[in-house]
Amino acid sequence: MEGIGGYAGRYLEVDLTTGKHRVRDTPRAWMRDYVGGTGFAARYLWDHLTPGIDPLGPENVIFFGTGPVTGTLGHATGRLVVASKAPLTGIWGESHVGGQLAPEIKYAGYDFIAITGRAERPVYLWIDDDHVEIRDASHMWGKTTRETFKLIWEDVGDDSVQSAVIGPAGERLVRFANVMVDFYDAAGRTGMGAVMGSKNLKAVAVRGSRGIKVANFEEFYEVIQRIYAKATTGEWREIANDTIRGYGTPYLIDVMYSIGRLPTKNHWTGVFPEAEKINGEALKAVRISHKSCFSCFLQCKYVHHVDSGRFACTLTGGPEYEALVSLGTNVMISDLGAIIHANNLCNEYGMDVITAGKIISWLMEVYERGLVTEEDIGGLRPKWGDVDLVIDLLHKMARREGIGDLLAEGALRAARKIGKGTERYVIHVKGLEASAQDGRSHKSIGLAHAVNVRGADHLRGLCTYDELPWAVKYAYERFGEEEAKRMVIDDRLDPTGKGYLTWLTENFYSIVDSMITCKYGAMWPMIYYYDDFAPWLKALTGIEELGSERRLALAGERIYMLRRAFNAREGVGKEADTLNPRFTEEPMPEGPGKGQVVELEVMLREYYEYRGLDWETGWPKRSKLEQLGLTDVAEELASLGRLGE
Amino acid sequence: MAAPRMMLVADFERCTGCRTCELACALWHEREFNPKRSRIAVLRDPERGVNVPVFCVQCEDAPCVASCPTGALQKDRDSGLVTLNYDLCIGCKTCVSVCPFGGIVVDPVSNKVIKCDLCGGDPQCVRFCPEEILHYVPVTVANLMRRKKSLERIPKLLELALPRVV
Ligand code: SF4
Ligand code: SF4
Repeated sequence: MEGIGGYAGRYLEVDLTTGKHRVRDTPRAWMRDYVGGTGFAARYLWDHLTPGIDPLGPENVIFFGTGPVTGTLGHATGRLVVASKAPLTGIWGESHVGGQLAPEIKYAGYDFIAITGRAERPVYLWIDDDHVEIRDASHMWGKTTRETFKLIWEDVGDDSVQSAVIGPAGERLVRFANVMVDFYDAAGRTGMGAVMGSKNLKAVAVRGSRGIKVANFEEFYEVIQRIYAKATTGEWREIANDTIRGYGTPYLIDVMYSIGRLPTKNHWTGVFPEAEKINGEALKAVRISHKSCFSCFLQCKYVHHVDSGRFACTLTGGPEYEALVSLGTNVMISDLGAIIHANNLCNEYGMDVITAGKIISWLMEVYERGLVTEEDIGGLRPKWGDVDLVIDLLHKMARREGIGDLLAEGALRAARKIGKGTERYVIHVKGLEASAQDGRSHKSIGLAHAVNVRGADHLRGLCTYDELPWAVKYAYERFGEEEAKRMVIDDRLDPTGKGYLTWLTENFYSIVDSMITCKYGAMWPMIYYYDDFAPWLKALTGIEELGSERRLALAGERIYMLRRAFNAREGVGKEADTLNPRFTEEPMPEGPGKGQVVELEVMLREYYEYRGLDWETGWPKRSKLEQLGLTDVAEELASLGRLGE
Repeated sequence: MAAPRMMLVADFERCTGCRTCELACALWHEREFNPKRSRIAVLRDPERGVNVPVFCVQCEDAPCVASCPTGALQKDRDSGLVTLNYDLCIGCKTCVSVCPFGGIVVDPVSNKVIKCDLCGGDPQCVRFCPEEILHYVPVTVANLMRRKKSLERIPKLLELALPRVV
C-alpha cells in the first residue's frame, strides 16, 4: 500500500472447518467509501452472508475489525469492532470494545480478521505477525474469561499478548454471551460470544511487530497536537475531570437521576431514590486503580476491589453505568458490593450485563403482576431487590441450568415460550433488551432506540446535546443557531426536529465506529466532530476523500444505510422500528419527565424522510441507495422484493 | 552558570497503561506507529491495573557503557545523556543483559538496540502523556517531586500536620 498511512492494507480470512487461512489486500475503494471498522464489517458481511442463515451455524462469519486510526497516536485508538449476524436478534450484530487488542491486530499486519466455519473441537486462533495457527483449546474449555487470558499467556509464553476470549456462557451458546478483552472490557451486546462458541473458538490471541505508516508526518504531527490539546487542556479537560475521566461512566448515575432518565424497576420509572448509594462517588471508596484503553486521552476505566462484607475479595473492572442500572436500579438493588459481584460474574462467565439484568427485571415484573406462577419459572419467587435471586439466576443462565436454560435464549424468546402475556413486559427493540435510557424523559433517545440497527441501544444514535441543559450551547456553537433551533435542541421533551437530529447523529457515529475512535470524546464530552476527524484522517492516511467533511458525512450515511439494508435483506422492516408500550403509552410516573410519553410516530416520519426509507414498509429507497453509491445493494433488495419506492 | 542537569521522571503510581507515550516515542524516532520500536515501554498488569513506564535513566556509572564492546554507548558528561551511536552498534545485546532496568530496547526491525535520547531536550512521551505523569525537569526538582510522593503515603500524618486557620 504505497503512500497510504493508517491502514495495514491487508486482511485475514480463516475457515475453521478446513483449517485454512488466506491473506488478501484491503481494497483501496473500501477505505474511501467505508473508512474501516464498522464500515468494513458492513460491506464484508453484506458480501459474504446469505440471508436467512442460522447465526449459530458454521456459515456465519465473525468479524474482528480495526479502523485507520487503530494503533496510531490519537484519541482512543484501541477500539475494536466485533460483528456478525446476531444470535440474540437474528439481524445485524455488532459490538465495540476498548482494551488493547485492536492495535495488536493492526501491528500483526491486518485491517480485520474474518472467521467462518466450525472447528471440530475447541480451538483458539494464534496470530503472531504472519504466523497463523489454529491451536488446541481443550484445556481452556469451561474456564472463565479471567482464567482464559492467563492460560493463553502461559501457552504462548508471553504475558503481553492481547486476546479476545469467551467464557462458559459463550461455550454454552447463551444468546447474549459476550467477547472479553484485556480482562474487563466487553464487546457486550447482541451475542457475539455465542457466535465464537458455535465455532468452537475459545479465543483469538494476537502479537504484532509491524509498524503502521503515516502518510504525511509534518501535517500529522501538527494535527495530532491539536487533537491532543483539545481533550487534555482547558474547558474539555475540566469537564472530563468532573465526569468521564474522574469517575468513568458511573458519573452518569447522578446525571440521569437529575433528568429523570435512570431506568428503575424494569424501566417503569426514571427515578431511583437510592441512586447516591451507587454513584461515582460511592464507587470511589472501593476503587483500587485507574486504567485506560490504548492511546486514550480521556481514560475512563477503573478497577474496583470489595474488601469487606459478604462480597469481600471481588476484584473487577467496572461496573460501568449500564451495569449499575441493569444489575442495580432496574432490579431495585442498591448494595454496591452485590452489584460489583454480579458484574464480575457476568465478566467471568462472559455474558452481557445489560441483557442478563434486563431478563431478571422482566421476570420480577411478570411475577409481581401475577402473570406467571412459581411453577412457570422453575420454582422461583422473584422479588424486587432480591440479591440472592439475581446472583442465582446469573449462575443458572450462564450454565443453562434449570430455568436458566430458557432465559439463556434472551427475554423475548423466553417470553414467547412462556406466553401468558409476559411478552408485553419485555423492554426491547428487535429482540435486544433496552440499555439504560428512557425516551419519555429525553425524546430523541426514544427514537434512537426504535430505529437502531442492532436493537434498543444508545450507541448508534444517542444525542447528548439535547440531553442536558448545559450541553445545549455546544450545539449552537457547532451547528449554528438556525440548525439548533430547527432541532429544538433546547427542549429534550419536544419531539420536533428529533428525527433529523437522530439521523445526523447516527451518520456521525458511523464514522466514529469506522475510524475507530471512542464515543467518549465524540458523544460525550462532544469534543470532536467532522472538522477534527477529516484533517486527522487526511494527514494520517493521505486519502484525499477522507479529508473532506462532506464526503465523510456521506460515508457515514452509506455505512448506516448498508446495515439497515442488511436487516431489510433478513426481512426486518418497519414493524420492528417500535418501542414497548411502556414508553409510548404509560406516562412517566414521576420526576422531571413526569407525565411524558414518547411521541414516536412524528419523529419516525421525519427520520424516515431523511434516512430514505419507505414509510409503509421501512425498506430502503432505491433513490437513496443510488445516491450513496449502493446500486448493487438496491438490486439485491429489489430481487427480494424489499426495496422501497 | 551551567544549565541544570535535566531528567525524565515518572509518577508511575498514576500511570494508566494507555501507552500513548510509546506511540509518541516511536513516531518521533522511527516515523511510524509501533510500540515495539519505542524507547519507553510500559509494563502492564491489566488484571490489577498496575502499570510502570520503563525507560533508560541515563546512569552516571552506566553498566551498558562499561560493557559495550565497540564503544557505541558513551556517557556524555556535559548533557548527562548516555548516547548510542547506531553506526557502531553490532547488535550483540550485551547492554540489554546488564541494564538493571530494562531500559535498552531491541529493535524488531534491525535486531540491534535502541535507547532513549530524551528527544534532544523535548521528550515526546512527556508531551503526549494524557495523565501528565511524565516530567522532564531539573534533577533537583525531580528529587523533590518524589520526596513529596513519599509524604502522600502517610495521609494520616499529613492530615494532622494541616494548619487550622480559624
Ligand atoms: S474513553 Fe474510556 S472507553 Fe473510551 S477509549 Fe478511553 S478508556 Fe476506553
Ligand atoms: S502515556 Fe503516561 S499514562 Fe499512558 S502509559 Fe505512558 S506514562 Fe502511562
